[in-house]
Amino acid sequence: MIKQCFQAEWLKMRRSHIWVVFMILPLVSVIIGWANYVMNQGTLQKEWYSLWSQVGLFYGEFFFPILIAIGCSYQCRLEHQNKNWHLVLTAPVSLAALFAAKLGVVATLLLLVQAFFCLLYVCGGLLAGLPASLPAELPGWLLRGWIAAMTIAVFQLALSMRIKSFATPVGIGLCAVFFGLGMYVLKLGLFFPHSLLTVGMGVLSQEGLDFGSNVVFLLMNALFGVGISTVSLRRLRKSDVLA
Amino acid sequence: MRKALSLEFYKLRRKYVLPMALLFLTVELVWALIAVSMSFERNRDSAGWEVIVAMLSTMNGLFLPLLSAIVVSRICDMEHKGNTWRLLRSMAVQPGKLYAAKYACAGLIMLGVCLCQVLAIAVFGVQSGYLTSVPLVLLARFLFGTLVTTLVVLALQQWISTVVKNQAFALCLGMLGGFLGMVGDLFPEAARRVFVWAYYTGLSPVTQQYASEKMQFVVREAGPISSAAAVLLAVAALLFLMGRRHASRLEG
Repeated sequence: MIKQCFQAEWLKMRRSHIWVVFMILPLVSVIIGWANYVMNQGTLQKEWYSLWSQVGLFYGEFFFPILIAIGCSYQCRLEHQNKNWHLVLTAPVSLAALFAAKLGVVATLLLLVQAFFCLLYVCGGLLAGLPASLPAELPGWLLRGWIAAMTIAVFQLALSMRIKSFATPVGIGLCAVFFGLGMYVLKLGLFFPHSLLTVGMGVLSQEGLDFGSNVVFLLMNALFGVGISTVSLRRLRKSDVLA
Repeated sequence: MRKALSLEFYKLRRKYVLPMALLFLTVELVWALIAVSMSFERNRDSAGWEVIVAMLSTMNGLFLPLLSAIVVSRICDMEHKGNTWRLLRSMAVQPGKLYAAKYACAGLIMLGVCLCQVLAIAVFGVQSGYLTSVPLVLLARFLFGTLVTTLVVLALQQWISTVVKNQAFALCLGMLGGFLGMVGDLFPEAARRVFVWAYYTGLSPVTQQYASEKMQFVVREAGPISSAAAVLLAVAALLFLMGRRHASRLEG
């Protein structure tokens, strides 16, 4: 059932040109970060780590969360038009499968975005004349970033399913970004979805997480993901949809 | 025109545009003013209205393009969603007038945001205990620069939001604008002139300069800023007219 729902959701993305948005934002953040790194190589001497701090800062802190918000809003856009929520909710599929399919599509897109960002980072580094050996932490940064991105996606999907407007969930997401930044500064980064992304991707501190921190990171993501999706699905079951 | 404008505000009832704009503004102000008060506590001699204005100008470069994108998207998307462009045309509402009413509506909302910001600066400055008499001229110049830049950004956003149904693109442009507004000062002068979002700091009455490894806040002369503002207003008018022409020719 989930597979069919996923295929249906994927079909809705056809000819949407949403991939343009998903490519432009990482591209711009890498170009600016790379240019800043190249111009300040005298100060930024930690090679790949310094480059990561430059390209990852804007991407992980601002662009990626907003990209997730835009993607989730887009996933619910069709349903909010022409009373399509009624149509979708009367289909013989469970709400959980519907939610999982939407999340699955967003997660796939985010995985592709992470891969594209990684490619740009590596190309940028090689272009800047850095040695071929990449940081050992890179797979961890990317994987943890993707996991935290899925947690944010659950939060954004819950908002987008509830709010008819396309822009409002994105605006709320942006406010959450700044709240998350504050939580990170207060060393409470593991207790808010948006600051989990900052911690996971190592955008402000490139030190890798130890085993214990990794376990806490995964647990908090699971807790937020399950908690928010449960509340969202419960709400969808109990209350009427204003399509 | 007045009726069309009042109808735009009527349509925004229960759309929570104003509360959302205020929430956005609150986040910006909290962030900026915390940073300013920390700076004042670290170095009491540096306390001045110029620091607050410079900080808010930089923050505006990030926040206001995004807020403008969201406000305009909300105002235009409701017509896309309800398929009401054609309905409004069939009711003898001129497309150009409707476009102008939407622009005026977004402009008035952003004017309210900018006024709230100026009021917050004045209250914070007096409450902080470091500063006394409110510099009305400086704040008026700050308000003017912010508003002029916002009018250009609004014209651009409205064009995109009206012509392209998928609001993801308009919001993507807003996000890019916010990014360019924030890092615009790092670009060379020629590049900075092209990016309209960089004028939040470009038209600010206060600029930051490094002298003997120390940051100084300098009040700019009004002359060069006024001529840049005049050019920017012309750009806003041009973007508005081009957007209106394009939108009027669309098949509803």
